[in-house]
Amino acid sequence: MAAAAIEFSNVSKVYKRWFSEERVEALSNVSFEVTPGEVCAFLGPNGAGKTTSIGILMGFHFANTGTVRVLGYEPGDVRAKEQVGFLPENFAFYKYLTGPKLLRLHRALAGRTAPGDEKLIAELLAKVKLAGYENLKIGRYSRGMVQRLGIAQALLCNPQLVILDEPTSGLDPAGRREVLQLLVMLKEEGKTILLSSHILPEVEQICDRVVIIDHGKLIRTGRLNEMLGSGTSVEIFVDRLPAEMESTLSQSGAAIERTPQAVKITTDGAHKRQIAEALWAGGCDVISLNPVRSTLEEVFLKTVDGKESAA
Amino acid sequence: MKIRAIAFNTFNGLMRNKIIILFCAGMVCVMLLALTPLMLARNNRAMPADQMQSLVLAIISGVMGMVSGFGSLLAAWAAADAVASEMKSGTILAVMARPVHRWEFLLGKYLGVQLLSLLYVFAMLGLNYGMAAIGGIHIQASVWVLIVYPMVRYAIFSAIAMLLVTMMHPIVSFGIVLVTSIAANIVAPSAQAPQFMAPWVRKALFDILPSTSALSEIRFLTTTRATLHGAPWSDHVTTLVYGLNYALVCFVLAAWMFRGRTLSRD
Repeated sequence: MAAAAIEFSNVSKVYKRWFSEERVEALSNVSFEVTPGEVCAFLGPNGAGKTTSIGILMGFHFANTGTVRVLGYEPGDVRAKEQVGFLPENFAFYKYLTGPKLLRLHRALAGRTAPGDEKLIAELLAKVKLAGYENLKIGRYSRGMVQRLGIAQALLCNPQLVILDEPTSGLDPAGRREVLQLLVMLKEEGKTILLSSHILPEVEQICDRVVIIDHGKLIRTGRLNEMLGSGTSVEIFVDRLPAEMESTLSQSGAAIERTPQAVKITTDGAHKRQIAEALWAGGCDVISLNPVRSTLEEVFLKTVDGKESAA
Repeated sequence: MKIRAIAFNTFNGLMRNKIIILFCAGMVCVMLLALTPLMLARNNRAMPADQMQSLVLAIISGVMGMVSGFGSLLAAWAAADAVASEMKSGTILAVMARPVHRWEFLLGKYLGVQLLSLLYVFAMLGLNYGMAAIGGIHIQASVWVLIVYPMVRYAIFSAIAMLLVTMMHPIVSFGIVLVTSIAANIVAPSAQAPQFMAPWVRKALFDILPSTSALSEIRFLTTTRATLHGAPWSDHVTTLVYGLNYALVCFVLAAWMFRGRTLSRD
């Protein structure tokens, strides 16, 4: 088995004020792993500890306890950073530079200046739809343009691991779709992606693994399919439903919804065979029978709300 | 390459810094104000030539003392702001996500500030010679002294500011540098010590604080042809090595403090 691209093991982080007893526990024994080639969604409500965790991964903050490895190295190790592309939340920039100049600066910071840089930068700017703005100072960019430039700088040095903190923030729906397409492309190239986002329907389309944290604690982690497939209900669509069967099904706890085209019966998966057979026997045409798959948003809300009500 | 990129980018940013532009505007105002007494001294026909030369030199050294002092504050502010503004705006996050060591980042910032200081020193040099030309005299001090001495002094103040800003707010850091520079002048052997200060306190402060009065180029401005060979090379070397050593120690301490600092948007 390949070594984890990101290893976050029993990490705790406490913020303390100087000359004060005030302590804020940002992370408490958080553990998760991301294997190479995976797209991992890092989710949590505001203030859950996502940005702190990402800061620790990048070497900006230091964990009080626990072990962190990024591509096998300590966080902040330049050997790891050589292979990491990072987009911070609310990406900030040097307003006096233009897009190409900023990217050239980042190439120099990566120690990778080469004769073909201009072509590479032009291609990257075109990829994030910033071609034609080469002479515009970044200070005059819109929020969406800044975010696109941030994504371009994260992808500048062909990183193996891409860490994106709210990559679609500030983007319009079309921009969000383009970023999503870009992430799909990176996934196809085999890059490992750690993605923190609040726009869960989009995350759901591309991620393989989900890590949910809240109030600094890990509350759920696992593969996306396992999480979404964990619902036990099924939906049965039939062309018609006689009244006597409807009352029997209602009494057994099934939810019935009539539409102009069909009747939808939502019931517990354990009774699906028995109900389907009864429907066939009753002369109804069963059009389809599908397991009800939760959305990531539902899983997230259920997990976070469940944790809060348990607390 | 990384350090050079950070240094030039820092210099680029400092050249657009409003406070620094204000500093430079202040220097221009001082220069314009100095023109009047200079013109008056030059046009005073009743004064003997050697007396007039001394008066013009005194005016130049007074003005340059002020401008040079401004430069120390400019260097300290630029160093504090160069680091603090990156933290405040969050630009440091994208930079430090690159394979850059923290000391490389700090050294790049420091060298960017030295580039600004160099530009300021050259402007000061031009001002010196310009004022001397208006006053109708020749500056006898060597050009290298007028460049290297203030550069080393600015290197000290910027290193102290950089050390402090790794721990505290830039305005507090700048304030401490200001107090340090005043205290260093008060405890200098050539200065008259205040009554309240015990001799041992003065001695201790003299040992700890940078002896920037020794690094003042202004004392060479009053050099006349007769006293031109007054300072031997060994004096220059000792003074400059002391200054560079002080700046180096402060910078190394700054890099050490910055090593463990949390990088986040302040």
